Amino acid sequence: MIESHPTIEELVDYAHGELSAPDDAAVHAHLAECSSCADAHTEEVALTQLLRAHAGAEEREMPVAVAAGVREAITRRPAFGWERLQAALRPALVLPVAAALAVALYFGFNTWRGTGRSTPIDAAYYIDSHAAMAANASFGQEAPAPLTLTSDTTPDETH
Amino acid sequence: MEQQAFLERAMEQYGKATYNFAYRLTRNEADARDLTQEAFIRVYKAWKSFKPGTSFLSWIYRIVTNLHRDELRRRKGRYLEEIPEAGEPQEYGGGRPLAVAPIEEYVEGHLSEPVSKALAGLSSEQREIVLLADIEGCSYQEIGQIVGCSVGTVRSRLHRARGQLRKLVTRYMKSST
Repeated sequence: MIESHPTIEELVDYAHGELSAPDDAAVHAHLAECSSCADAHTEEVALTQLLRAHAGAEEREMPVAVAAGVREAITRRPAFGWERLQAALRPALVLPVAAALAVALYFGFNTWRGTGRSTPIDAAYYIDSHAAMAANASFGQEAPAPLTLTSDTTPDETH
Repeated sequence: MEQQAFLERAMEQYGKATYNFAYRLTRNEADARDLTQEAFIRVYKAWKSFKPGTSFLSWIYRIVTNLHRDELRRRKGRYLEEIPEAGEPQEYGGGRPLAVAPIEEYVEGHLSEPVSKALAGLSSEQREIVLLADIEGCSYQEIGQIVGCSVGTVRSRLHRARGQLRKLVTRYMKSST
């Protein structure tokens, strides 16, 4: 409840119809009796009137080009769902994507074959193969030295 | 083509109000055109989110305000101002209103420049609030919904903006006489 002179803020709120009903009634009653507050209120109202009159004098129609621009923009943009999918599947876009995918698949597959799996030949193959070579050697020939599978290297081999 | 019809109706009924609001915010015809155009494109795209029975103007003003803020942020607050020189007629994108009330003629002739300069002297945030409260006649609650703040913040911003505006109008009116 406003008991003394209303503040400028209260007068602004009053002018905008934003005070609570009891405060609005109190300010209304006060303005009828207090000329200085009534003058301050008149100034606030005059400022709003000035702004409105300025806005009214400046008012103009929306340029035709704006509506035309909106229509053009929305027809240029594909809408949603199927139309958007169709637009995404245009040949100009699909062909390079398909080519890139094919290249990636080809090289990716070969890389996978080259590094991901080892050749399935085990050591027993070599042992059997060399044993057979020794058995088949003719009498005049010296049989090949027996094969030793080792990962060790002698110091001489490294120098 | 319900969506298209919605857009056409919105532009027909609210195009002028939206454009003028955008112009008052930006003080620039080219920016106002771009802002209005983008706002209606958003309306078209988001037309289903509009709740019938609520204020379309509040909705589109909110869109315009947000777009304007985004643009200001993008340009780092450097908006081109198109304040005409003294005595130089303003360019109008559309037709002038046919009927002009006497007070508007008076303001246009004598007070337009000081008020225009005073409004331009406010920060963008203050100008938003003054335009919505004093020119558009929105309630504090509506303004809060449009600019995305509480009623208390609207109230304090409006008081500060009007205080600033009073000083600026007085100063420019004195300097123009």
